[in-house]
Amino acid sequence: MKAMEESTVLDAKVLELNMGPQHPSTHGVLRVKLKLDGERVVDAECIIGYLHRGVEKISENRSYIECVPYYDRTDYIAAVSNVYGFLLGVEAMMQIEVPKRAQYIRIMMTEFSRIASHLLWLATHAIDIGAMTVFLYCFREREEILKLFEALFGARLTTHAFRVGGLWKDLPPGFVEAARKFIDEFPERVDEYEQLLTKNRIWMARTQGIGVISGKEAIEWGLTGPVLRGSGVRHDVRKDRPYGGYEEFDFDVPVGENGDTYDRYLVRLEEMHQSRRIIQQVLDRLPDGPVRGKAPKIVKPPVGEYYSGIDGPRGELGYYIVSDGSAHPFRVRIRPPTFISLQVLRRLVKGHLMADVIAIIGTLDIVLGEVDR
Amino acid sequence: MIDFLKRIFLVDILKGMALTFRYTYRKVYTEQYPLEKPKLAERYRGAPRLNNDPVTGETLCIACDLCAEICPEDLIVVGSQRDPESRKKVLTHYTFDTSRCLFCGLCQEVCPTNAIELTQDFELAAYDRRSMVWDRKRLEKGWDRIDFGKDYHK
Amino acid sequence: MNENVFIENLLIYAVIPLIKIVVIVLVLSGAIAYLTLLERKLIAHIQVRLGPMRVGWHGLLQPIADGLKFLLKEDIVPAKADALIFTIAPAISLIPAFLVFAVVPFGPPDMLQDFLGWTLGWFPFLNLDEATTERIAQNAIASGGYVTDINIAVLFVLSVSSVGILGIILGGWASNSKYPLLGALRSTAQMVSYEVALGFAIIGVLLVAGSLSLVEIVQNQQQEQLWYIFVQPLAFVLFFICGLAETNRLPFDLPEAETELVGGFHTEYSGFRFSLFFLAEYANMIAVSAIGVVLFWGGWLRPFPSFEWLNFLNFIPGVVWFLGKVFLFLYVFIWVRGTLPRFRFDQLMQYGWKIFLPVAMANVIVTAGVILAFL
Repeated sequence: MKAMEESTVLDAKVLELNMGPQHPSTHGVLRVKLKLDGERVVDAECIIGYLHRGVEKISENRSYIECVPYYDRTDYIAAVSNVYGFLLGVEAMMQIEVPKRAQYIRIMMTEFSRIASHLLWLATHAIDIGAMTVFLYCFREREEILKLFEALFGARLTTHAFRVGGLWKDLPPGFVEAARKFIDEFPERVDEYEQLLTKNRIWMARTQGIGVISGKEAIEWGLTGPVLRGSGVRHDVRKDRPYGGYEEFDFDVPVGENGDTYDRYLVRLEEMHQSRRIIQQVLDRLPDGPVRGKAPKIVKPPVGEYYSGIDGPRGELGYYIVSDGSAHPFRVRIRPPTFISLQVLRRLVKGHLMADVIAIIGTLDIVLGEVDR
Repeated sequence: MIDFLKRIFLVDILKGMALTFRYTYRKVYTEQYPLEKPKLAERYRGAPRLNNDPVTGETLCIACDLCAEICPEDLIVVGSQRDPESRKKVLTHYTFDTSRCLFCGLCQEVCPTNAIELTQDFELAAYDRRSMVWDRKRLEKGWDRIDFGKDYHK
Repeated sequence: MNENVFIENLLIYAVIPLIKIVVIVLVLSGAIAYLTLLERKLIAHIQVRLGPMRVGWHGLLQPIADGLKFLLKEDIVPAKADALIFTIAPAISLIPAFLVFAVVPFGPPDMLQDFLGWTLGWFPFLNLDEATTERIAQNAIASGGYVTDINIAVLFVLSVSSVGILGIILGGWASNSKYPLLGALRSTAQMVSYEVALGFAIIGVLLVAGSLSLVEIVQNQQQEQLWYIFVQPLAFVLFFICGLAETNRLPFDLPEAETELVGGFHTEYSGFRFSLFFLAEYANMIAVSAIGVVLFWGGWLRPFPSFEWLNFLNFIPGVVWFLGKVFLFLYVFIWVRGTLPRFRFDQLMQYGWKIFLPVAMANVIVTAGVILAFL
């Protein structure tokens, strides 16, 4: 502490500033204790837990079917992929065959949820940096996706998307057309965001060279997802350990070069385009058939442990399920990607200005529901 | 050189300005919510309803208790009595705590007679917590929204 | 006779200017209120939504509702704040913003000539004969479309507007809270540095116009049949950018940067005091627009005064042209806010000192050189 105070430029004390949990741009209830020398960040400490609901513990007291809706509420921005990760694990443990059509629809909806999540990220990231119009434009497109969710799943945000063995119901009539319409219009819309941001000198000045992390260091911190790929590491669970039928689809994994906020922005934009490509392929090749495989009424996986990791919008989302053979999981451990990427915040913000803290929190794309669980 | 000129003449910024200008006179996207109600999808999971047989008017619920079993929050309470003559289970009371509901839809999924159903009504706000626990009468009636009249929201 | 002269002077130097001041203050307050509505509506439409729709037709009464809300809210002075300074800071910020309009020429010096000649007849108790009425109406102080025309008007504007910064600094400091303090620090640095560049941008015009009086600057543009924006385009761009910075508008709204500093200097303010800061910000916007119109867009002149075939535009009175141009300026202010992200503090300083200031100085030197060499 003494050493910290001496490190200020002027012979003054460091200013300790509480950012959050009610701060407008800490994306929920994150609290960051900043130590400032003027506007420069000397140190930062993340204080989490304001949204802790004990989802992992709750799961131990619920049956496998019952605990699925709770995972909607961990990462509520991308609820579809959360459920997907858990169900893949349960289905693998019980060796339930998921019909082809259900698999395809699952992939499509997960990619839709990735687009929706990235749109929300872009919206909040942009408004944090001051471009408030992008916020509304992104929400407009997200709304279209949420309408698709509503039509298929019956809910917009906490979707309770999939069931053990497949889907709740088949696609509603008109769904394919609506989805096609969306993905046909979508590239134009992304171009609009790019027109407002990508080449804008203020946006570039605010994001380039901010929060730089090298690929090697990013791996050491255990980062995954766009944050890792922005640093140039081509790691994507969908490619490396394909699950749920992803190996049948053709897509690229975009990577950045410099590992700064701007590259992570570009990576996420490109990921939206790639997700769109996957959806396009799904719609073209959507097979007929049932959407729910033969799953027992009471889900009782055999005794054992299983880890299923998927590539969520924010990184590798893992579920480590321990079964004791009963209808309730013995233990479920969620590996939340943003809990891990939040740890790097302190390393990234040191030496930057206070305004950059906002940009870096934004670029890590944290969801506090997932961090705190 | 061209890049330099572009920088000097603020081309990047002017492009963005042109885009926002085009949008200024376009049709708006938002809905005026309380005035125009959104069209919800058929599958939307909102306020619960306990269905009656449309012909006889008797409840469809057979008091099998599956919904109460599956409910993750255990917020459904099904009360039943065995009819001494026919030896059948008869529903006596049914409560549904909407304040704790996840709207996951598991109850309507397991219901063998489609008695409990989540409807498209979504305005569930109430003035106190007690009125969020719905009894059988209210569930059978469906969610009666308080009608403030046409001019209320103006 | 003496009495008549006294009444004449009283009218010219006291009564008529006072009436003008009252009119300007009232109109300005109304304009500010509706500027907030314009901003909300415009930004809403940029963002494909509608904005306020409930209070009145398309939200037309929204500013009144907002004003009432501000008045009725509890007036909170934080326990640890410096109560006196906390209380007067909003006034310090608001008064200079209004003072600027004392020298802004809304119309030509003879704008009210006919009007005065006509209205003075309504007051028989004044016992004015025709000649006196004529004299009053002819007097530029009485009939000009401005409160006063002083020969150092530009300096007056610059100095008065820098007093307004004090309000922000004091408000941020007196709140005794960390976010307002940071906001105040930012605004100090920002406004001081951008004022320099702004001043240099204006000097370019002053060199061309050869006068510090705003009325004369417009009259010179009239004589030369040319708006100064065509003579000093660079100075105009600099003026506009620095004007954005001076009024704390995006992309330079760092002192209040709500996503960083919550509310900046006015985080701790609420109710009526907050609304004073709010008014000051919008009054400053209008002031900067008005000054910009006077200096670069020919004040009350119609577009392209040199083209005779556009003479029919003269039927529209000068004050309408002036207000229309101010409206355009404000539109661009809001439009910029709807488009651009926000600068970071150090970048803002860098742009201010390393780009805008040198360019503005170069502009002054080149202008001066050209004037010396060719005129």
